Amino acid sequence: MAEAMAYSLSLSLLYLGLLCGNGLVSARGSELFTPDPSRGPHFTGCRSREQETFRCWWSTGTFQNLTEPGALRVFYQTKNALEWRECPDYTRTVENECYFNKTFTHIWTSYCIQLRSVPQNITYDDTCFTVENIVHPDPPIGLNWTLLNVSRSGLHFDVLVRWAPPPSADVQMGWMSLVYQVQYRVKNASHWEMLDLESGTQQSLYGLHTDKECEVRVRCKMLAFDNFGEFSDSIFVHVAQIPSKESTFPTTLVLIFGVIGVVILLVLLIFSQQQRLMVIFLPPIPAPKIKGIDPELLKNGKLDQLNSLLSSQDMYKPDFYHEDPWVEFIQLDLDDPAEKNESSDTQHLLGLSRSGSSHVLNFKSDDDSGRASCYDPELPNPEDLASLLPAHSGRGENHPLVSSSSPSIPDLGIQQTSEVEETPIQTQPAVHSWGNMDFYAQVSDFTPAGGVVLSPGQLNSSPEKKKEEENEKKIQLQLLSDGAYTSENTARQLDVPPSPGPEQGYHAFPTQAVEGNLWNGEYLVSAGDSQTPYLLPEAPPAPTLPPVSDYTVVQEVDAQHSLLLNPPSSQPALCPHTPNKHLPAMPTMPMGYLTPDLLGNLNP
Amino acid sequence: MSRSLKQVAVLLVALLCLDPHGRVGSAPICTHGPSGCHVPSLADLFDRVIQHSARMHSLSNDLHSEFEQYFLPSKNHIGKIYRKCHTSNILTPNGKENAQKLAREELTEVILKLLMAWRDPLFQLHQSMAHQQDFNSFSSNKALEMGDMAHELRKGVEKVAEKMRVLGMLGNSVTGLSAAEAMLPISDSGEAMSDYELLYCFRRDSNKVQNYLKILKCRIVPEHDC
Repeated sequence: MAEAMAYSLSLSLLYLGLLCGNGLVSARGSELFTPDPSRGPHFTGCRSREQETFRCWWSTGTFQNLTEPGALRVFYQTKNALEWRECPDYTRTVENECYFNKTFTHIWTSYCIQLRSVPQNITYDDTCFTVENIVHPDPPIGLNWTLLNVSRSGLHFDVLVRWAPPPSADVQMGWMSLVYQVQYRVKNASHWEMLDLESGTQQSLYGLHTDKECEVRVRCKMLAFDNFGEFSDSIFVHVAQIPSKESTFPTTLVLIFGVIGVVILLVLLIFSQQQRLMVIFLPPIPAPKIKGIDPELLKNGKLDQLNSLLSSQDMYKPDFYHEDPWVEFIQLDLDDPAEKNESSDTQHLLGLSRSGSSHVLNFKSDDDSGRASCYDPELPNPEDLASLLPAHSGRGENHPLVSSSSPSIPDLGIQQTSEVEETPIQTQPAVHSWGNMDFYAQVSDFTPAGGVVLSPGQLNSSPEKKKEEENEKKIQLQLLSDGAYTSENTARQLDVPPSPGPEQGYHAFPTQAVEGNLWNGEYLVSAGDSQTPYLLPEAPPAPTLPPVSDYTVVQEVDAQHSLLLNPPSSQPALCPHTPNKHLPAMPTMPMGYLTPDLLGNLNP
Repeated sequence: MSRSLKQVAVLLVALLCLDPHGRVGSAPICTHGPSGCHVPSLADLFDRVIQHSARMHSLSNDLHSEFEQYFLPSKNHIGKIYRKCHTSNILTPNGKENAQKLAREELTEVILKLLMAWRDPLFQLHQSMAHQQDFNSFSSNKALEMGDMAHELRKGVEKVAEKMRVLGMLGNSVTGLSAAEAMLPISDSGEAMSDYELLYCFRRDSNKVQNYLKILKCRIVPEHDC
């Protein structure tokens, strides 16, 4: 208890002694040297004020038995003379300070000092330095300010702050070249604003607020060295605000009135032009529109009217993927006894519907001749048909097939058949929702009566039996080669000749020559048939029009994320060890279309 | 007769005109002080030279602190402090009074000796810094700049000394420093000094040069109760 008291007393005495020292720096400087009480005796710092003398301080730390003077001694060694000498001057007034005067101070010389207890011959601490590196200049003196100007609003003002270099520093000769740093803050703020280093003895402060007291202080350091000295005493800068209400009053009033006026104008404008503004800002969402067709008709489902409307337009009627018009066509053909021969073609068509039942849009067929199916009440729903209608863009006159169910239309269709192109293919994108269905029949011939003969691609009519077989085969092929609407499964089930596979039905024409034929054969062509189907038997063979497929089946996605339309067949065999590289091919994808969920498979 | 006279006259004129000492000389452009261009006075020359030395010292300080950041040497180790710079052989005044007591000629000579001694080592320093990848190009550029500055400073101080000699302020005891003063930066152990040691030494020496120049100026060009 007594020891603790003695210890604390000695410490407090030490602090007091340091604080009340008469030397400027020794009093000021040693404030910063908070001794570390947890250590033993150690140096707390060495400083030089003017690069001509310096002092060192130490503390006894936790060792109380060394507090009496003389217990600890300081020895120093310079590079010039390598023997250890004792401190030239232990300051009498200040405790634990060693002072080196001018004769003992050598600039640009390394000093090493040691704190020793001589009786025990223990060195408690040692440190080395060179004098120019421990220079902490005194603070500048004579800090004052003058008003430069006040802003027009009277809210801000500028001030010029001046000071003088510390007297201890010999700046006239340039022995110490000082740079200064000014700091200022609004009174009682916590954060000091720092300005750049200034080599002169004045600095301007801009943008100070009137009516707020500003505290300014300055400190200095040697140029190209790092140790700042202490701060000078702060000065307070204050400029009273000049009341100038009369200037601000009208401005604010004008502003307020202006704003109110503008607001009123806006409100009036809005209310007067409400309707127009509504249209501009909230335009009505356009309802789906087909030229010339009243959406109400579509809603009500009055198919007849729609058909008449559509047929009266230049629309791509043959793209209606339902059998009604074809059936009607066929019906017409059958009525005419002169077309008996060509009726076999229509039977093909009907036969198609028979065997391709899985792909036909609700098309029930019986094994009878197509005729029965013509009158089959099991027709696709009007709604379905109606839904098909808006999907077509006007391509009309190029297609031989007419979609409307009215008898008058076939005539139109016939007359237009001379311009058959590969157009039906191109409308397929619009009908992807129709599923697997036989939409297309290839027109092979015309009846004199104006009917259209649909054929699987053969120009000549052969004996019926043989035709039947062939037709069966062709039907199968047709099914397979039917663009988007044949699934690969069924294609595989059927006996497909290798060269034009069903999946190739949608490959781009340039890639396979045979495909062209397929395309040419449209949707009834037999695979191996090299003839081009179309209209007239004397029509030139196909490739006048390269049947460019609008869409192609995406078979695979390779590692570079490119879609392979026609992947090399050997690829899976070649690279069995890198299955991960390729995204999985799409075996079960229906030909022609990439549905969104399949698209998801594409993405890695 | 008139012809020969003419010839002689032409010859004379030619001789006069072509007299090498007459017109063709390396005379300075500004021969008249106030009317012509401004001839820097000795004080101006000193100012320039001192400014230059201040910049050089500042640059050396920057490089030295960069180095210290990189390598973080133990600051107070005795062994590290007592490095022997290659310029330690040059006797330099190590205080203000000592420098003031020194004669002008000796002070000038010390300055020139110091600057001369650093010519090659600075070049070496730049080379080694440029080759090392530890430093970015900034540092090696600074080293190069420092070397150039030291060279220019030496030239400047030589000019000042010349001017002082012309003005009679210096005695003739200032020997033209011969290039035989080449001093190799070798440390105690005989090995070449490391970059850090070179920088440490140069920082110290550039500070010396700066201060000596200031003292010299104060003595040569008295002003502000110097």
